[in-house]
Amino acid sequence: MSYVSLQSITKKFGDVEILKGVDLEIEHHQFTVLLGPSGCGKSTTLRLVAGLEPVSGGKIFIDERDVTDLEPRERDIAMVFQNYALYPTMTVEQNMSFGLKAQNMPASDIRTAVHNAAELLGITPLLARKPGELSGGQQQRVAIGRAIVRQPKLFLFDEPLSNLDAKLRVETRSEILSLHQRLGATTIYVTHDQEEAMTMADKIVIMNQGQIEQQGTPEDVFFRPVSRMVAGFIGSPVMNFFNGVGTANGAIETQVGTFEGFPQIRAGQKVEVGVRPDDLIPAEKGETTITGKVLLSELLGVRAIIHLKTQHGLAFKAVVDHEIYRDMKSADEASFTVRDGRLHVFDSESGKRI
Amino acid sequence: MFSFSSRSARIAAFFAIAVALLIVLFPFVWVFLESIKPASFGGKPDVWLFPPTSDNWNNVLLQSDVPANILNSFVVAFSTVAIALLVGCPAAYAFSRFRGYQGARYSILAAEMMPPAILILPFFLVLYHLQMIDSLAGVIAAHLSFVVPVVTWFLIGFFDEVPRDLENQAMVDGYTRFQAFYKVILPAVRPGIGAAGVFGFVLSWNDLFYALLLTGGESRTLPVAIAGYWTFRGVDMGKMAVAILIAVIPVLILSFFIQKHLVRGIGGGAVKY
Repeated sequence: MSYVSLQSITKKFGDVEILKGVDLEIEHHQFTVLLGPSGCGKSTTLRLVAGLEPVSGGKIFIDERDVTDLEPRERDIAMVFQNYALYPTMTVEQNMSFGLKAQNMPASDIRTAVHNAAELLGITPLLARKPGELSGGQQQRVAIGRAIVRQPKLFLFDEPLSNLDAKLRVETRSEILSLHQRLGATTIYVTHDQEEAMTMADKIVIMNQGQIEQQGTPEDVFFRPVSRMVAGFIGSPVMNFFNGVGTANGAIETQVGTFEGFPQIRAGQKVEVGVRPDDLIPAEKGETTITGKVLLSELLGVRAIIHLKTQHGLAFKAVVDHEIYRDMKSADEASFTVRDGRLHVFDSESGKRI
Repeated sequence: MFSFSSRSARIAAFFAIAVALLIVLFPFVWVFLESIKPASFGGKPDVWLFPPTSDNWNNVLLQSDVPANILNSFVVAFSTVAIALLVGCPAAYAFSRFRGYQGARYSILAAEMMPPAILILPFFLVLYHLQMIDSLAGVIAAHLSFVVPVVTWFLIGFFDEVPRDLENQAMVDGYTRFQAFYKVILPAVRPGIGAAGVFGFVLSWNDLFYALLLTGGESRTLPVAIAGYWTFRGVDMGKMAVAILIAVIPVLILSFFIQKHLVRGIGGGAVKY
């Protein structure tokens, strides 16, 4: 059995089914990210693992122990909440000691543990302060410090970076990751930010409408999305999609051109063809091309996003290097071809990858 | 924009405050004057010049039952507040965290909407059969009927401001829900508890209606004693004035200490992050 195991977990609030049978295996020392749009059930899943909500069905195991019916305090977990949930009436030191006191640890050991954790996070000068006197970033560190000082079996993070500004978010991201590696911790991390998920995760679990849509490494979900939903959710800027129809000889006809080499497609089958903006490369003469009118362009630095519209009025985007951007931004039209093997085809009805 | 920097605006503000103070403070001044007025001037409120006397104060403080009545009032008010907080804190927490029908919390005010005159008869009968007429416990029970709802209602707002994740955090940190409640949540609403306590204290301290009908002799509270100076021979204004001033003092002192929290509570900033 894996280190953490969720078996056929269901959750209902009244008549509303929030989780419809979630099976998830998490290995020891793994950093797992639950990712999905709001309302997909990712936070609920985390709260069930924490024991803050009872499951409606299924079993949860942590380190081979059935914790399904145990109270949060009996599960040996630590959690970092979105709003940090620092105890407002306690100092930073008291906040960090609070969980250790519950374990009846001797006061001198608590002091050592708290000071070591504070040292690790660089928050020693803050120990005597109250949460109200700290900045958002400092509160965040204290919340993380309070979690690691307990040396729990499992770390749970519920969108911990969403209240920070963009720069701090990126910094804290790598800090959480290096802490994770340093402590050899097992972590479940919930976010709706796909960039956060891609950069941090050993394993990404993409959830949609109370079910797991796909789970795998960041490469898996990025390069081989199993469904239209995953393809559209992962990646920035988002994937371009074009409607198409299968032909008898294994090709797909779309409004932007015909794509060949799909023997598994039935004639008349309705499909959606997806291609990431990064996989559109400026076309040479004689290639199958997607051509569009240049609407506007955004220079990001080394690369730029070009917004285009086909003659049929379909909008799409391409990401190009800045040398190409220089020629393209003033051009009227631009033609692209799809990088080899980077075309994704999904059945229009089921949304599944073909 | 209106600003207090201009001279005319400052003068206008000064007069506005002066008028407000006059309206608020005049009764106190008048009552104080009555308390040092000799008996020969009694019943003449329009007399402003008289030789001051301490007769009324001496009489009320040294020769009457008023000191005992004050003690009764303190016992009643403190007991009422203590019980009301003991019941009201968990009740308000429960209402705040209850995820079902949100109208339920308003039901706590139902008792408040009933005229006391409706409750007094059942109270009287019950206490009579329990042989608790003219006992402090009886008055405390009656006061709880209106102090508990007010205190609970007052506290719900404070608990609402404490994020649920705070108790969730404590439970993950190794505590039971009850421990989370009294180790983390209660300290976070301490200003609210103080304000609610003062509020309840004043309600109980000032009550005349229940105390008048449920106490007669030994257990008379201060408001009953004040009313007692209105006798069949007329109003003993001087002594009544002394008793009134004594009744006002604790309320003033409490309000002074709690005002910061009262304003903070009403302003909705009970828990600052």
